[in-house]
Amino acid sequence: MRVPLTWLKDYVDFDVPAGRLVELFSLHSQEVDGVYRLGVLDGEVVVGEVQEFERHPNAERLFVSKVDLGVEIVQIVAGASNLYPGARVPVVLPGSLLADGRKLKKARLRGLDSYGMMMSERELGISQSHEGILILEDSCEVGRPLTDYFPIGETVLDIDVMPNRPDLWGVIGVARELAAILRTDFRVPEPQFDTGGAPTGEYGLRVEVDELCPRYDLRRVSGLNPGTTAPIWMRRRIHAAGMRPVSGIVDATNYVMLETGQPIHAFDAQKVRGGIVVRRAHAGEQLTLLDGSVRTLDEQMLVIADEERGLVIAGVMGAEYAEVDGRTSDVLVEVATFSGRNILETSQKLGLRTDASGRFERGLDPNMVDYSLDRVSQFLTTLAAGRVALDTLSHNPHPVQPWDVPLRLKRAENLLGVAVREEEVAERLTSLGCRVQRESDHVVATVPTFRRDLTREVDLIEEVGRLIGLDRVPEELPAVTTVGGLSTEQQKVRLLRRVLVDIGLAEAVLYPFGPDRWADGLMLNPEDKRRRLARVKNPLSAEQTNLRSMLLPGLLDAAARNKAFSSHGGAFFEIGRVFAHNSIPQEMEEIALTYRLQGEKGLEDLHAASAEAPTGITNGVEGLENLTPFSGVEEALRVGAVMAGTVRPGGWNVPPFKAGFFDIKGIVERLVPRATFNPIQEPFLHPGRAAEVRVGDVNVGWVGELHPRAVENFTLEDWPVAAFELDLKLCDPDPTPHFREFVSVPAVMMDLALILDSRVPIGDILESADGLSPLLADIRIFDMYTGPQVPEGKKSVAFTLTFQGEQTLTDEEVKQELDKIISHLSARFGALVRGV
Amino acid sequence: MTAISRIEELKAEALTALTEARSTAEVEQVRVRYLGRSAQLTEIKKNIRQLPQEERPVVGEAANLASRKIEEVLQSRLAELSTAEREARLRAEAVDVTLPGIPFPKGNMHPSQRVIDDVVDFFIGLGYRVAEGPEVETDYYNFTALNIPPGHPARGMQDTFFLDEGVVLRTHTSPVQVRTMLTHEPPVYVICPGRVYRRDSDPTHTPMFNQIEGLAVDKGLTLAHLKGTLTAMARHVFGEKVRLRLRPSYFQFTEPSVEQDVSCFLCDGKDPHCRICKGAGWLEMGGAGMVDPAVLEEVGYDPEVYTGFAFGMGPDRMAMVQYGVPDLRLFFEGDLRFLRQF
Repeated sequence: MRVPLTWLKDYVDFDVPAGRLVELFSLHSQEVDGVYRLGVLDGEVVVGEVQEFERHPNAERLFVSKVDLGVEIVQIVAGASNLYPGARVPVVLPGSLLADGRKLKKARLRGLDSYGMMMSERELGISQSHEGILILEDSCEVGRPLTDYFPIGETVLDIDVMPNRPDLWGVIGVARELAAILRTDFRVPEPQFDTGGAPTGEYGLRVEVDELCPRYDLRRVSGLNPGTTAPIWMRRRIHAAGMRPVSGIVDATNYVMLETGQPIHAFDAQKVRGGIVVRRAHAGEQLTLLDGSVRTLDEQMLVIADEERGLVIAGVMGAEYAEVDGRTSDVLVEVATFSGRNILETSQKLGLRTDASGRFERGLDPNMVDYSLDRVSQFLTTLAAGRVALDTLSHNPHPVQPWDVPLRLKRAENLLGVAVREEEVAERLTSLGCRVQRESDHVVATVPTFRRDLTREVDLIEEVGRLIGLDRVPEELPAVTTVGGLSTEQQKVRLLRRVLVDIGLAEAVLYPFGPDRWADGLMLNPEDKRRRLARVKNPLSAEQTNLRSMLLPGLLDAAARNKAFSSHGGAFFEIGRVFAHNSIPQEMEEIALTYRLQGEKGLEDLHAASAEAPTGITNGVEGLENLTPFSGVEEALRVGAVMAGTVRPGGWNVPPFKAGFFDIKGIVERLVPRATFNPIQEPFLHPGRAAEVRVGDVNVGWVGELHPRAVENFTLEDWPVAAFELDLKLCDPDPTPHFREFVSVPAVMMDLALILDSRVPIGDILESADGLSPLLADIRIFDMYTGPQVPEGKKSVAFTLTFQGEQTLTDEEVKQELDKIISHLSARFGALVRGV
Repeated sequence: MTAISRIEELKAEALTALTEARSTAEVEQVRVRYLGRSAQLTEIKKNIRQLPQEERPVVGEAANLASRKIEEVLQSRLAELSTAEREARLRAEAVDVTLPGIPFPKGNMHPSQRVIDDVVDFFIGLGYRVAEGPEVETDYYNFTALNIPPGHPARGMQDTFFLDEGVVLRTHTSPVQVRTMLTHEPPVYVICPGRVYRRDSDPTHTPMFNQIEGLAVDKGLTLAHLKGTLTAMARHVFGEKVRLRLRPSYFQFTEPSVEQDVSCFLCDGKDPHCRICKGAGWLEMGGAGMVDPAVLEEVGYDPEVYTGFAFGMGPDRMAMVQYGVPDLRLFFEGDLRFLRQF
């Protein structure tokens, strides 16, 4: 809400600089988004009369005029052409400071002296119009300061009104609030007007939908001067408040809306057929609105119609049929209250938000209607010589009355943490418009109907708290009796992150949104369950429609962006959620929907729920278990990493580091100590350099180099890319240690080179050797060889075996164990001992 | 020439040779020449039996003394020279110590995560536990249970991503509070960090961002406890000198509702061109308030017995302030030029 300060001063007296006002509002009421200044900030503007007006002799587009300023006649060069001798104009004198930062000086323009400047509406802060010089009414006296007629400068507070305070969407409400903050008085002008116009009753009023329209008042004002424009003071206030002045009648309705917060609509009575009908729109009903758009309505939407056609989408925007225009002399003024929720929904469905709908959607007070209707009637008579009908058609079946709310002083202290006195509670609530009765240990406030947000004790306590000032609340720490800490799982996630960072990876946090392109880029099969995506219904763009089912594509896109920035490569990881869509079985749909909208409580009502709920469906409380929650979306925490391009550039002592399978696998081994690895076929992974990661029987994820086609699909050509993605549950970067006895006798190390069929997985050898001998303490590979020295299809693998016994081992004992191992490996894998 | 004088002569020669020896190798040569198997001194010793009986002990002793003397000087000379030689060798092995070492590069923790861990640790110290919940939420937990029923204008304040009827991406971490209260009896002290989603995108808003919310419900909690807790947190994060102020605000699930501002830790409001607070003197930290009685009732707590406070803050924005990052969007693009700075 933009509040011009000169307007505010109509209702409340204050002498507080704008900066202090901003602070006061921020600390006691609403946030202030900004302070704007319009017109002349400092200096003088006087009324001048043009005496001569001619073309500038030396410039085609300039004019020169002689202007009488009362005390002297000055020469002014102007760019505008709309002047004529006798025109009264505002002249800003040299030395004045304009809102756009210009400081006016005497000037010479193309050889002629120019004294001051004649001003356009925009320069004076009256409107956006910069077409020509503002021509003042002839009643303005030559030589008098313009401030005698209206302010020449304006300061506007842009107040960010909270949704629970529709009363602050009008200047009067803001004035009441300011008066309460300053502990001063405020006043509201008493509307006065004469009646005697054509009767409203010549038209009908029928409200068909009570529940969407609690109040609807209609009053006719006739005999208006057609084509009247609003006076400058009104136009400049409308402009300063952020709206566009339109015409006298429309400006009067907008002015009163800005003043009271109550939107008002005026119909051209001559165009209304029969009367006003408030009804639901017909399905598919179309209206051509004032902005030229054609809107298709549905039966949930409320329409203000006459007996024949829809005239207005209630509370949102009018259609062209019955709008006022330059010939309008007879209007029906609508001041109504609509269901806020309905207006909000209509506005959202149509994607159409207006000054009116923004106010209605917050739920207005039906009792605002009376004052607003009188006030606009007043302006229509004073501005356009209208005559107000004696009768008003009013639909107000359930008048709203003020309500009583008790407030215990002790409760206020218990919530605010500071004692409040009964007098100050009474004073503060009174200043907000409440009537307050004092009882022994509590007060009872009768809340005015425009404060629909004050229904409970706690609401009043908040009002008292903010008005007395939250700086009065002391600072205390609670005596917490619970024990804090991270759960084991949370500690593990934190450690995992730390380990990956210590290994040298950079942590990324990426959007979970992705395009359809991802699944195709990864060449996932049509039946792949990772194509079962949860989708956003209202994404910001088509690229952000799906919720990721894997971390990988987001990381690849990030790598591609880095490549585009001419990065040489890098390694990064993300710990984040992945999502999968799981259809709710049809028989569960009602239960699921009830749960989504009403929670557990809703399910209690649906007694059948617990009996019928098949296993595998959960309320999602844990959120991270792999069961379908009622939301239909599974989510799981994953860790994923990508090492792409040159992870680390070479140095004088190290070669450049590009990650291959064993580099990335090494990280996985660090994170999942008991992991086993089996070859895996994933469409996006290198068919020969990828593995499934398991712990026991449980799949933990995958690790591998990317398939070159996937690399290309993500525009990472020429970059080696290795990646992994793991379920966090079985990651254990720092397993709980268990002490094992060790002996101090020397171990014996033996080297053993085996010729093996090249297809034999070394992992199987290691696994199989483990446990073959109680003396074998360690087995390590120190060399791998294929080439001319070994037969084709074979490989030579060299192991170092460490034997450790309770006592020093004899050569004989070691030999015996070694032979046992060799004979086992020969039998099982066809291993031959090389070069012995 | 007598044997004795020959011995003395050899000894003198040997000692001179040792003095002149410039390396351990030369010393070794001296040893061979004067003490070796075919050395003259050795010859003299071997041939001692051929000498007259009475000369034997004298010559023998002289030869032994000479050998011992030579050996003694030789050892000391050897030690001297080998020390010098090792020093010389080490000097020759000198490297340019200004060359970089073998890299064990530091990785990078996301700036928001740094702030989250810091804040979480602070609250753990106060006795809070960490609660988490799903990012895909139901309408009930994200809105209704928080006193934001269908059609409420407050729903319009949070541009929501919808997945299905009654299913949204959570717009705040507040549903975690509800889930916690529904499954725990008071006292409850939890801190809830997590990613949240709003349909908004410009330099200061991203469709996803991090949030940290805290919730305390116990007997006798007041706004003063909220203020004290937030002040302590602000001092932990921004330094002991900062002050906290509360401003009125509006949230459906708290009443009274407040905004928390922290005084600028850099200029304390004294610099109109401050790069941190832009001259405002205050940094907006987020919303807070006393848990609305309607919310307490919704989860089955008696609001006449228990009161509570809740607060929220944006770790991304805190990181922007702490590390001087101008654009929020940088946080979520995976740009290594950004990530590697942390």
